[in-house]
Amino acid sequence: MPNAVEVSGLRKSYGQVHAVRDVGFTVGYGEIVALLGPNGAGKTTTLEILEGFRTRDDGTAEVLGYDPGERSSARELRERTGLVLQDVAVEPYLTVRETIARAAGYYRAPRGVTEVTGLAGLTGLERRKVRSLSGGQKRRLDLALGLIGNPALLYLDEPTTGFDPAARRDAWQLVRGLRAAGMTILLTTHDMDEAQALADRVVLLSGGVVVAAGEPAALGGRDAERTRISFRLPAGCTAADLPVSAHSANSANSANSANGMVVVETGTPTQALHRLTDWAIRRGHVLAGLTVERPSLEDVYLELTRAGAPPAPERIMR
Amino acid sequence: MTTAVAAPRRAGRPAGPPAGSRSNLRLLAHQVRYEQLSFWRNPQSAVFTFIFPVVFVVIMGALFGGIGKSSYFGGLSALQYYVPTIAALSVLGSCYGQLAVALAARRQAGILKRVRATPLPAWAYFAGLLAHCVLVSVIDIALIVVVGRLYGVPFPSHWLAIMLTLVLGAASFCALGVAVASVISNAEAAPAVAQLVLFPLMFISGTYLPIHSALLNGVSGWLPVRPFNEALTGPFAQHAGADWRDLAVLAAWGAVGAVVAVRRFRWDPRPE
Repeated sequence: MPNAVEVSGLRKSYGQVHAVRDVGFTVGYGEIVALLGPNGAGKTTTLEILEGFRTRDDGTAEVLGYDPGERSSARELRERTGLVLQDVAVEPYLTVRETIARAAGYYRAPRGVTEVTGLAGLTGLERRKVRSLSGGQKRRLDLALGLIGNPALLYLDEPTTGFDPAARRDAWQLVRGLRAAGMTILLTTHDMDEAQALADRVVLLSGGVVVAAGEPAALGGRDAERTRISFRLPAGCTAADLPVSAHSANSANSANSANGMVVVETGTPTQALHRLTDWAIRRGHVLAGLTVERPSLEDVYLELTRAGAPPAPERIMR
Repeated sequence: MTTAVAAPRRAGRPAGPPAGSRSNLRLLAHQVRYEQLSFWRNPQSAVFTFIFPVVFVVIMGALFGGIGKSSYFGGLSALQYYVPTIAALSVLGSCYGQLAVALAARRQAGILKRVRATPLPAWAYFAGLLAHCVLVSVIDIALIVVVGRLYGVPFPSHWLAIMLTLVLGAASFCALGVAVASVISNAEAAPAVAQLVLFPLMFISGTYLPIHSALLNGVSGWLPVRPFNEALTGPFAQHAGADWRDLAVLAAWGAVGAVVAVRRFRWDPRPE
């Protein structure tokens, strides 16, 4: 089965500014993919090229089997894609229901106005003027307008920015529901919890190139490497006494003490932990403050997008 | 919010109704309807569009109501002169001025981008705006004629010529309005730029006072406002038919505006 979105070698410059230098990724049908990256990484430009708002300088792009740069396919593509963007707005003097009904009239086979009003959580606000809505309510209206055409592919640009925690949970539920019903979703977010909660795969951009891609749980190899085991060094022991650093310099690649805390970074956490606890029990030590943690998505994100960090092609997992 | 979500349309070629002329017409009617709704809901635009020209005729009537036919007004009474020129001014205001400002503001706010994200074709969006402008102009002219009647200006008799001139003028000034909105990048500057072009043009075209300079009249005869004034004044006051030369100049300006608009119009608030 072909992909809903296929991008490779995408390039776009604005004068001297190379917004997108080499971006390639795919989004399968029915998948949720999140584009992550700092401001200026090229997320918005990439999305806007796919949406047909901008032309590309080089590379290939295919959305639902159409070339978004081709004028002749623009209308068909707009029939079948929905947008929820940061910088779009609607007429302030129409009511919520009128705004949704107006957009519905533009599509060949729209969803029901009442149904979409309910999906977006706007029931009860139908007769309110758009200008009197709160910021969060306006975002939900944007969402309704993205859904009204019953799209096969939905773009969500930072969909929950400005939502309170409960509204954010509701929006996540809605997005999962849409995916369960077969919709393909490409979203951008700065919220790592959101990427972790929603995305089947994430694509991390930095400086206009893809620096990592994969499942959120495995991004940058964080499922395999660098599990951090930290605890307080038992009294009378030094780091040299520990079995992990003593027995296997390979698996325990760093042990440093600060306030008596030591951190063991290991690629084989099961074995390392077993050796450590076995050692402690036999010696009658207590490993105070023992925690085992993997680097969070945010840790990986920050490391991979650090200013000046060169793109690491070996980390790319397509 | 609920999570019960119906399945989206399947991938592959959709089986919707073919886009025929009837569905195009329905789309246009839909667009005009919602343009009207947004316009009438906005008290500011409605008041400016209708109150201003009427107040202008009332003031002119109070100032010059007593002046009968004179050579200063080209052989017309003062109000016979001002009713068609103020009618032309109201069409200019709503088709050129307000349209340019409204489009620049809609672009800046992201409203145009939202429209562009839907399958609504560009022609339908602009045809909806044009239909709106013609409708507003018709109402304006009717109001002005009625107020003029109170000052003794007879109802015009060549309605067909007036309608032809009105539709052509509205279309041309809409095209120029869209063209100006296309070359202005910033919505705050739009009213100033639109007025900067319009005000001197209206002045030398005799909108405010009759111009008796052959040079000015020669120049303004090739610019869009005087031909429109004259094309309306003929069937309004002198009971002549359509003035083809004036209409041709007007149409040529409309074509220039349309070319600029088509080449330069942007939906996106941020430039490429």
